[in-house]
Amino acid sequence: MTDLPRTQHIIASGGIAAVGVIVAYISFTQEPADAFIFPRLISSVFAVLAIWTFGKAVMGRTKVGNGISGEAMRNMLPGLIVMIIYVFWAAKALGFYTATTITFFIMLSLYDPAPHGAFASWAKRIAITAGFLLVMYGLFALLLNVFTPREVFF
Amino acid sequence: MKKWIAGAALAVAAMTGSVHAEGHGDYPERPIMMMVSYGAGGATDFQARIVTMTAGNEDALGMPVAIVNRPGAGGRVGWNWFATEADNDGYTLGAYNIPHFIAQSIEGGVSYSTDDFEPIANWGADPAVFVVGADSEFNSMADVIDYAKANPGGLTFSGAGLFVGHHIAALQLEKAAEVELAYIPNNAGGAGAMRAVIAGEVLGGVNNLSDAFRAQAAGNVKILGVFDLERNDFLPEVPTMMEQGYDIDNASVNFRGIMVPKGTPQEVIDHLAAVVPTMFENGRVQSRMEAGGSPMHVMTRDEVLDMWAARQETLEELLADL
Amino acid sequence: MDFLFYMGDVFTPINFGLLLLGTVGGLILGATPGLSPTMAVALLIPFTFKLEPQQGLILLGAAYTSTVAGGAVSAILLKIPGAPANIATTLDGHAMATKGEGAKALQLSFLASAVGGLFGVFLLIFLTPVLARWALAFGPSHLFWLAILGVTVIGTLDSSSVVKGLLSGCIGLWLATIGFDDIMGAQRFIFHPAVSGGINVIPALIGLFAIPQVITMLTKGRTGSNAEIITVKRHPIRLAFLEVIRRKTALIIGTITGSIIGLIPGVGGQIAGLVAYDQSKKFSKESEKFGTGHSEGVIAAESANNAMVGPSLVPLLTLSIPGSPTAAVLLGGLLIHGIFPGPDLFMNYPQVAWTFIDSMLIGQILMCVFGLFIAGLAARVARVPHAVMAAIVLGLAVFGSYSVQNSMGDVYVMASLGLGMYFLERFGFSAAPLVLGLILGPIAEANFIQGSMIANATVGTGTYFFTGWLNWALIGIVLVSVSYSIWMEIAQRRYTTKEEAVAKEEAVS
Repeated sequence: MTDLPRTQHIIASGGIAAVGVIVAYISFTQEPADAFIFPRLISSVFAVLAIWTFGKAVMGRTKVGNGISGEAMRNMLPGLIVMIIYVFWAAKALGFYTATTITFFIMLSLYDPAPHGAFASWAKRIAITAGFLLVMYGLFALLLNVFTPREVFF
Repeated sequence: MKKWIAGAALAVAAMTGSVHAEGHGDYPERPIMMMVSYGAGGATDFQARIVTMTAGNEDALGMPVAIVNRPGAGGRVGWNWFATEADNDGYTLGAYNIPHFIAQSIEGGVSYSTDDFEPIANWGADPAVFVVGADSEFNSMADVIDYAKANPGGLTFSGAGLFVGHHIAALQLEKAAEVELAYIPNNAGGAGAMRAVIAGEVLGGVNNLSDAFRAQAAGNVKILGVFDLERNDFLPEVPTMMEQGYDIDNASVNFRGIMVPKGTPQEVIDHLAAVVPTMFENGRVQSRMEAGGSPMHVMTRDEVLDMWAARQETLEELLADL
Repeated sequence: MDFLFYMGDVFTPINFGLLLLGTVGGLILGATPGLSPTMAVALLIPFTFKLEPQQGLILLGAAYTSTVAGGAVSAILLKIPGAPANIATTLDGHAMATKGEGAKALQLSFLASAVGGLFGVFLLIFLTPVLARWALAFGPSHLFWLAILGVTVIGTLDSSSVVKGLLSGCIGLWLATIGFDDIMGAQRFIFHPAVSGGINVIPALIGLFAIPQVITMLTKGRTGSNAEIITVKRHPIRLAFLEVIRRKTALIIGTITGSIIGLIPGVGGQIAGLVAYDQSKKFSKESEKFGTGHSEGVIAAESANNAMVGPSLVPLLTLSIPGSPTAAVLLGGLLIHGIFPGPDLFMNYPQVAWTFIDSMLIGQILMCVFGLFIAGLAARVARVPHAVMAAIVLGLAVFGSYSVQNSMGDVYVMASLGLGMYFLERFGFSAAPLVLGLILGPIAEANFIQGSMIANATVGTGTYFFTGWLNWALIGIVLVSVSYSIWMEIAQRRYTTKEEAVAKEEAVS
């Protein structure tokens, strides 16, 4: 293994160890004590295991997990940003169907290997987006009667 | 191209959006959601599905009501959501259980009280009953209390959770009979509590009359007493607690009905308050409820407001002694 | 043999039509992410208002059977388990689909489902009185030990490192404590309003499995894709039959584990698949192949989760106590027609009761036939380019998790858990133990608290939790399971170097 995964492992397991310690701290300080018996038990084991893993990562003895390569990170970044905007903002603010249409189309445009210059690839993208939205609308709105947020549009 | 489509989407959206923002004249114009704070298949859920089944009729709301379950922690999860996060546009209804949510709000640790909800109408009243296993040595409440006096804190009996109707009944029994009992709240609701009785994990239990009636018919339990002011039509042979010498009123009777969050437009509340009771009176609803062994008790919005206020007072008094 | 006598009723035109409708509709609903069998059956209840009792129950019975099996479709093709029952199916099923063996995986899963399902329904028909006693035997102390047994499975499940497996399980157990605690009603760890109601299992499932999947597809970028177009291998149904027969150990373990565990109220249905998967992994001669697209994994998991359908109805039909959420919904379906289940159900309403059970038998077969028929077609989903697939899975995940409770909070929880899980997976943690922790946490805690309350009022904690043959048996199984895991870990360490572990990881991801 190169050095990059080792650093990543240290960061990741460090983060988990931090969560474990914080959870344990909260469990042992919160009241009522009766309701926290079980969390105390769990968080103790959690913290111990997490610190052990962190220790192994620092010593570079982590056996499994390949980390994330620079290329993978570059590839996923735009999609990840679109996804986060979609889930945490657009779905609620624009309404599910509008937000899904836009996100779906952007995702296709970002990751579909068909050439951007050709008209056919754009037509295909629009067709797929429309098809997907129709299926979702039929399934969730008409068949299951789920009322999703619909700020704008339908 | 992407931008063009997004722009067009926004433009059309702006146009249609402005139409939506008008008044409530044609309420309801889309399906309505009703939150039930107990799991699918529980007594509240089952009854809620029946009483709303005719909502789509022209003489009722004209739009179907879809049930959404938000179970957890004896109803706290659902009502907390309903008080803090539910939309108050009239398209989100909730099912209430009295005394559950009032008792929980008095006990604390939740973000709701009677002030956060506006009742619409009441559909049912399900008294609590005391049940023991079919092969139990107890044959009357006196036997139960004698055992409890001989073994202080040793009489285990199950109920659906803490600060729900069953627990109120249990507290009243402890107070009226001046004994110490071991109330075991079950995390699986009334069905779980009943199972514990039938399996013999506990010596007795407080449960819904409707469920106990069925369990008795199946030969699994004996019903020893009703926590209500008078005997119930489903169980005319079972005496009330009062008849057996324990001063217990109907504070634990489980009233079920429909409410909306505070801040819902007054015209919507008025419309619902006028229509919903007639929906409960529908013959098909009545016959289905009867078939399922669920006692009905239709009350209008004003009657429910009075009942809420009365319960608030009784429960504050009862829980203050704890 | 009463059930044969009433078999004819299933085949009247209307009844059979409803059976077909229930089966096909159930498969579709089951394959929709976010719709667990419980919700699917609850959605169908209003349709039964207008039907005769018998017809209504045929519809519900067929839907229950096929939604459980339908969950396998999305588990295999999209790696989104439709319900907790299908978690174990994703482990090998999706790996097979990405290798182009989706058709085979689907065929195996439907065949195994049918075998397990039929066995379960026959148990219901012939052994109901015996099973009813067994279902009542599990009190709080036993359910507590059972949950602990489930926790011991965590360490060996789908993880190359036992420590990281256990740590994943602990994270899941902790996540389960967020929200109101079930018995006391105290608020715990509510750091954001979205989790004020606790973490709902279904959205969590969707997020933990689907989102890492989406991100992995994104990491391939815009260009790399042309290199690896998966060829979906055709797989004749005949070979699927042979494969299921050849893997009879997995089939038998799955069916039996599923039937036994499915019977236990409240716990069974959710973990039957995972426990069966773990058991057959331990008994298999090729245990190292599990998790890489091995047919035994699919067979064990699917036969188990369908075998539990029949037994899970035993407490309902004999004692009138619903043993699972779905059974509770079915109880509602019976009650609105004025039918009270109980010991004399089969005497008072033989026509309704037996036709219901028969419809589940025929439903299993129809489901299997229909499933085999569409398997080849459905498997082509694997050929969908990853850009389209990522967008579809993301959209389904958002809609599916919203529809569980009509809640944006659930969508946020789904996405946050999913994003976190992607990074955790890259560092050797895995989703299956985490989910198992999430499911088992509340069961272990609630039963521990209830058990100790009863114990304090009666015999004392030590006696309550540590005496009685059932407690001893369960503690014994826990000890055996733990020691087996430790022994395996040591044995593996001896033969596995770090490089081999990494190589195996590469093959999986």
